[in-house]
Parts: sequence; C-alpha cells; structure tokens
Amino acid sequence: MSTSRDLTRVAFSGLAARKMRTVLLLLGPMIGVAAIVAAVGLTDSAKGDLKAKVAELGTNLIEASAASAFGQSSPTLPIDAVERAATVTTVESVSSIRQLSNVVVTPYTEALEQFDTVPIPVLAADADLPRVLEVGLVSGRWLDDFDESSRARVAVIGQALAAEFSYLPGENRTVELAGFPYAVIGVLEKVPLEPGFDNAVFVPFAAVADDFLDEDPVEPNKLYVRCQTGTEDLTSEALSVAVGLGGPTQISSEVKSEALELAAESDRQLQLIVVSMGLLAIVVGGLGIANVMSISVIQRSAEIGIRRALGHTRRIIALQFLLEAIAVGVVGGILGVLLGMLAIFVGVSAAGWVFVMAGWLAPAGVALAVVISVLAGSYPAVRAARLEPLETLRLG
Amino acid sequence: MITPFLELRSVSRVYGSGDTEVRALDGVSLAVMPGDFVSIVGPSGSGKSTMLGLLGCLDAPSDGTIVVDGEDVSRVADASRTRVRGRSIGFVFQQFHLIPHLDALSNVETALLYRGIRPGERRDRSLAALDRVGLAHRHDHRPVQLSGGEQQRVALARALVTEPKILLADEPTGALDSKNAANVMEILAGLRSSERAVVLVTHDVGIADSAARKISMLDGRIVSDEVLRP
Repeated sequence: MSTSRDLTRVAFSGLAARKMRTVLLLLGPMIGVAAIVAAVGLTDSAKGDLKAKVAELGTNLIEASAASAFGQSSPTLPIDAVERAATVTTVESVSSIRQLSNVVVTPYTEALEQFDTVPIPVLAADADLPRVLEVGLVSGRWLDDFDESSRARVAVIGQALAAEFSYLPGENRTVELAGFPYAVIGVLEKVPLEPGFDNAVFVPFAAVADDFLDEDPVEPNKLYVRCQTGTEDLTSEALSVAVGLGGPTQISSEVKSEALELAAESDRQLQLIVVSMGLLAIVVGGLGIANVMSISVIQRSAEIGIRRALGHTRRIIALQFLLEAIAVGVVGGILGVLLGMLAIFVGVSAAGWVFVMAGWLAPAGVALAVVISVLAGSYPAVRAARLEPLETLRLG
Repeated sequence: MITPFLELRSVSRVYGSGDTEVRALDGVSLAVMPGDFVSIVGPSGSGKSTMLGLLGCLDAPSDGTIVVDGEDVSRVADASRTRVRGRSIGFVFQQFHLIPHLDALSNVETALLYRGIRPGERRDRSLAALDRVGLAHRHDHRPVQLSGGEQQRVALARALVTEPKILLADEPTGALDSKNAANVMEILAGLRSSERAVVLVTHDVGIADSAARKISMLDGRIVSDEVLRP
C-alpha cells in the first residue's frame, strides 16, 4: 500500500519536473478522447433532438404513393382515392396531391430569362393538406374549395421559395408557371416531415387540369393520411387494399417518421468517421508517449542507475515509468472528456438541440486513454527496468 | 567471534570468453570487519571498480563466494541482490549522482522509498541525515543550486539515511577541490563505528593513506593489505 503511494508520488514528481514534455504528452490522448466524445455526443444529441421532433410532429403520418405499374410511366391513384382512404376506420384525415414535372417557375411575369433553369416542384393540392400535415401558413391563406370550383390561377409557395423569390408577406405577386400567370395567395410554413415542400409551389387541381395536364379531373398520385396513433402499420396495409381495390394501381406506403429516423441513421456514418479519426489520434498519441518515454529512459539512465543502487527493484523502476504513462493517460483522458463535452455543448447550443451525452461515454473515454497509455508505456518501462546500474553509474 | 560485514572468498570476475577473455578480478579473498575504514587503491584496470561493483551487490561474481552482511549473494537473483543492497549498503559516487529534478531533501528521501516508511518519518530521518552533513538549511535546494562539495555531502546523507552497515565510496573526492575533499574525508572518517564499515575506492594514494587500512590492487589481485592506524 505504502509502495503504491510512494510510486504515485515519484511518478507525479517526475511529470511535474518536466512540464513542457508532460503537456505535449497529454495532447495526444486528450485530442483523441475529445474527438470521440464530441462525435458520439453530438450525434446522440442530434438523434435526441430528432426523436423529440418526431414525438412533437406525431408518428401517425402515412404517405401512400401510386407505385409504378407495368407500362405506366407516371402512375396515379384513383380519382376517388381520398374517399376510399377515408373508409378505413383508423384513418383520421386524408389529403391528396399530384406532383407535376417540367413546369418552369419564374418569380415575376417578365423574369423568364433569369430564372428559367430553376427546377421547382409544382404540386396540385387539395384544401386539407395543411391540416393533415399539421402546419400553418406564414402569411396569406391556403387553397380552398372556392379556388377549385372557380378554377382560379392561385398559388401557395413554400417558405424557402418565398425567401428565394424575395416575396414579402401580403405582397401582390404574380409568378409564372409554364408561362401562365398565378397569383401568390399564401406562404406555407416549413413541413419538418416533408422538407421538399419548403421549395414547392402548390396550386388547385382544377388549375392543373386547365394549364399543365391533358386530363380532367386530375388524378392524385399521393395521399397524406393521419391515422390513430399506434395503427400505422395496420392502416398502411388497409390503405393499399382500400385505395388500390379493383384497379391496376399499386400503393406503396411509408410512415413518415420512420423515414426521418432512417435518415438519422445515415449520420452514424459520419459519427463512425469522426470516431475513427479520434481513435487514430489516440493511437498516434500513444506512439508519441512510447517515443518520448523511450528517449526519457535514456536521458534518465543515471537516475535509474542510482535508484537501483539505492535498492529499488527492477519491478519498482518499471512500475514508476508505467505509472508516469498511466498518469498521462488519466489526466489526458479527463481533459479530453471535458474538452469533448465543451465541443458538444458548443455544437448543441449552435444547433438549438438538447445536450445528450451517454453515461458510459466519460468513463469509456478515460479508460481508452489509460489503456493506450499503458500499452505505450510498457515498452519504455521494460527498457528502464533492464538497465544495469553498473553500466549507467560509470564507476571508478 | 565477530562476523565480517563483507567477505570475498576466491572471487573472480571474468568478462568475455575465449580469446577476448578478461579476468578483471582473479581469485581475490577479503574480509571487511565492523568498524573498518578500508581504502582500496590501484591504478585504472587494477580491478578496483570491478571489486566495488561486487562489494556493492551491483554485479555477480563469475566464481567464488561473496557474503554481504551475513547473506550469500554470489548466485542469487537480481531482486535478492537488490534487497541486500538496499538494506546493507550505502553508495557515494565520484559524480554525486543526485537526481537533478529533486531538491536535496527529496534526493535523500529517495533512499527511503518503498520501505513502508510513512512520509512524515521519512522526512524527519532525511532532515536528520542532512543535518549530520551540515546541510539541513539547504534541504530545499536542487543539485544545480549547490556546490560540488555540498552535492557530495547530500549524497553522503542519502547513503547514510538508511543506516547501512557498509558505506561504499567510489572516488568520493575525485570531483572536488582540496578543501571540499578534506571536508568529505573528515565526514567519512567520522562515520566509522562498531556498527559500520567504510570502504573507499580510489586511485589517489594520498586519499587512500588517510584510511585506517589500505588494500592495494594490481591486475585483478590484492598485492598488499596493510593496517595504517588502529
């Protein structure tokens, strides 16, 4: 017991006597542990934020799309798809859209030359879409039944698109869709579960029939369905039957929140890369410890000789050097964890997330630094122990 | 009957083998008794450094028997020799060999580490040892802040603090001016007691003559062993 206390004193006095060297030794494990802690902590915080967001948005939004059947290039749903979906008893609300392609959108009626290459999705949407998605409008109003029945050329635009078009709330603006003038009547809020809507233009089905498609009425190709929470999978299956019944239409359903969670999984790849870099930093730091301590053994050979002459055994000498390495690992690991936590805190504050850090992360970070430093310190420790006092003391 | 503190019986130390074989020590027998103040003198290559390594349990003999403080250390493992060394022998070296990053007190305390001694007691004993060489007031100075003579006295305190039976001094005045050398020799001579033997290894005949017993070496053998004063 007293031996370990003596060893600790000697190891720390050895480190304290060479402050610059000790600081340099600390950097390797410190940076490595900090990188790992920050990577894991930040991805966990992002995931935690995502879960909170999903919980807020609700997990019960289902997207049912027309799947490509044989010979159909742009598959559609039956014209009464909304009514069919509503027959499923677990369905609470339904809205339909029709995605269009190749509609050139220009922010002003005269601005075709400047903006004709901007690819912007144009969608026919019914009056229920914001209610089903549970989003509001930044300004103006959504498309309503009167717009449909009067076949009005009106449009609602996404928030990001409004910013891009420098559209001010309440401004009288006419945009051009494939050369047809449409009056902007509202700006839709961000839809977290459907980020693409942020850049889209929404118009009534009737207007689409008049201006863009050679069909009337226009069939939808996608439904957004809110179901009773907990019946997502069941409802998805029921929707396929109810909407696809009696026709060639194939339905593919996905629960939107699951897609979002899936997207978060891709962040794991980034986490893996950063963690690997952290591991690399720790390994390089370990090599640095091994290298510097090996040189130190040569520099301190006289000290080792005199300690051996004073009766310190080979084991004690080895332990003394090993303990110096371990002390570097412990201190470097703790500093690394603190630095990593600081990085998480900064990142979380910048992104507006909630600080999430797994309980095992701090002890694991320190343990990793210690393991590496023990591995790095053992070779110089053994070399120190093998020195013959007779050779280092230069007698006579 | 008084048992010797140090005893060499027909001890040889051979380096290398075959054509390159060097018999640094060749069948030497010697006994150092309690209270002895022995100088071992000889030119370089006479085997006195080899003798010092063997007497100090820093080396093992190729042949013969070495008994230190009642324990046969001729053919024991390094750990056992280290234990005997720590228990029975104190070293003083020509180059002092203080640990540069430690102050005088910590240098002395180093000799008391790993012996199960509490820090307070270790400090008290080390301060007492420093006081004995007249350096208690310099206990917080590091080696670079001390003169050569002072450094050697700190080394003496470090050797004495464990109360060793045998004090081995290797050219202790070799790096000192004559005034400091005389001071160190005076302290060494004063350390003679019935509980301790002092062994001084030197090539300086003048220094050797100040001991009570002088052993002269040449080519790995003892050529004379004379008592200079009782």
